[in-house]
Amino acid sequence: MLIVRHLRKLNAPQRLQLNVDQTRRALSDANLQYDKDPQPLFTDAETQRLLQSMTQLQLEKVFRKRTVADNSTETKFMTTAQLEKEFLLTIEKAKKLLQMPPVVQIKPDTERVISKDPALKDFDDSKYVFTDISFGLRPSERKVVVRDVDGTLSYAPLETQKRMNQLYFPLDGRKSYTPRMFSDKELLQRCLDEHKYEFVLDRLTVQYEPYETEFHNISAKVFTHLNESKQFDLLRSTRHFGPMAFFYAWHRCIDDLLYDMIRRDYLYNAVQLIALSYKIHKVPVEYGQTLSQLEALQPTPAERALEELRSCLQKPSEKGIEKEIHAAIGKTEQDFTADELSLKFIEQYIGSEHALKKVQLELAVQTLKELNLEKLQLFKGLKKAHGVQAS
Amino acid sequence: MLPLARGIYSTLTQITRNSRVSLHTASAQHCKAEPAAENETPAEDEEGENAKDSASDPKDRKTVIPVETSIRYLKSAAYKTTYGDEFVWTQYRRNHKGMFAPRKTRKTCIRQGKISTGNPCPICRDEYLVLDYRNTELLKQFISPYSGQVLSYSKTGLCQKSHLRLTVAVEQARDCGLITYDVPFREYDYSEYYGKKEDSKQ
Repeated sequence: MLIVRHLRKLNAPQRLQLNVDQTRRALSDANLQYDKDPQPLFTDAETQRLLQSMTQLQLEKVFRKRTVADNSTETKFMTTAQLEKEFLLTIEKAKKLLQMPPVVQIKPDTERVISKDPALKDFDDSKYVFTDISFGLRPSERKVVVRDVDGTLSYAPLETQKRMNQLYFPLDGRKSYTPRMFSDKELLQRCLDEHKYEFVLDRLTVQYEPYETEFHNISAKVFTHLNESKQFDLLRSTRHFGPMAFFYAWHRCIDDLLYDMIRRDYLYNAVQLIALSYKIHKVPVEYGQTLSQLEALQPTPAERALEELRSCLQKPSEKGIEKEIHAAIGKTEQDFTADELSLKFIEQYIGSEHALKKVQLELAVQTLKELNLEKLQLFKGLKKAHGVQAS
Repeated sequence: MLPLARGIYSTLTQITRNSRVSLHTASAQHCKAEPAAENETPAEDEEGENAKDSASDPKDRKTVIPVETSIRYLKSAAYKTTYGDEFVWTQYRRNHKGMFAPRKTRKTCIRQGKISTGNPCPICRDEYLVLDYRNTELLKQFISPYSGQVLSYSKTGLCQKSHLRLTVAVEQARDCGLITYDVPFREYDYSEYYGKKEDSKQ
């Protein structure tokens, strides 16, 4: 008996801990919702710029070969001037393909009655739905009204409105029924376990409107799963990276993404992510100065992509020794100074109370620092060997 | 054609041999024999009994083979020896009179539970290839890597009935998210989501 009691005593704190764990898991488990309207913060010009820069623009990923019914290519002869124009158009097209899905609040469904006509009661044993099908109206502007069996005329609920829109003006890729992938939890879980994040999110954007509850639930589920599996690179340079980063910053769980960014040597993006989270939670840390300094040092993703496009035009002999050194090491002098600046900012963040996984982040920063030091030495050595004067 | 037929024949004989072992040996030996049998052939106890019939009549297709067996078969060594690294349909050739094949393939290869033709289509000739939405490895062999569509029966040589079952299975698999495809791009009109908010605030 004594032993049993003793055991129970021993077990008691463990059980408590279990409870704590469970609550924490419940928090991290899917239903992370935006507690207030995220739209003003998301559409803010600065936030948009940060998110776009974090998304990056990898042309190969944006313009990957799609398996669609018509994926024909066109081959043309062009002059250099025409090609230059085409490059600019390509960047514009890529930006369009990276358009972020809007992040808005869940729209409550309110019943709006137009008139109550008890005289029409039992005119039929089913409801009548009237839809304005005139051409060129936007889906949200289209008037859909319902005459109920008891004679009330009211605006249709959002679900009916969506169904009617889909019936008369179908959106490409949207199904009139809920795909089993979304209705069946096991199937969704299976998709996530196989890391088909982009596919799930693409389908989500087509199937649901951004203000629907399902959209919020499923995207939250995908993002939390992604945060655990840490395969952030799958979404980099897709349209879903911005909302994902925003989601993490809003729910104060940026550390894993930050770690990934540091490990992949995207320090500028890491600084932007920290700045974003400061901005969302109104932390009194001055980040504007560092950001503007870094911005002056580093090109935007669009500029970088344009540079990449143009570089294939140049002959190797024209490039010059500086470019060759840059190609060999992957960094320029500006990059090194930018790295120094951003590392300082990141370390400041890790030191503060906002960081949760301090040890991991510190280790990552340390290894990166050593790597950078080696690269810097190599860079200086190469420069000296080629007789390029330090500017 | 000949090596293929030989491959199928050898799998069938293996099935029958294994089933015989499992039927006639003592239980201790049976336990040892089973894992080996699982690796090599998709034969199970229930098919083992029927294997005798199919050995006597290789054209009999009355037994229903579960999808799980088919999925295991596609990973097995028996499948590898039969098809190698190629698709199920690459080695298949249609028989026809004259230079040009008829535009459509035959309606069905199996009539009244029996193969009714000398040159059954790639799906019908191998009874362990089951068209089902869960059998993604098999379905992927029939999807074009360029357009993402189901390949035509003029290319794969499937009979009309199998082709219909194939298209249904592929559509189901896409619905369940078991097969990924490129979702059409949706362009958002931001003013529809953001502009309205401002109106409601004012």
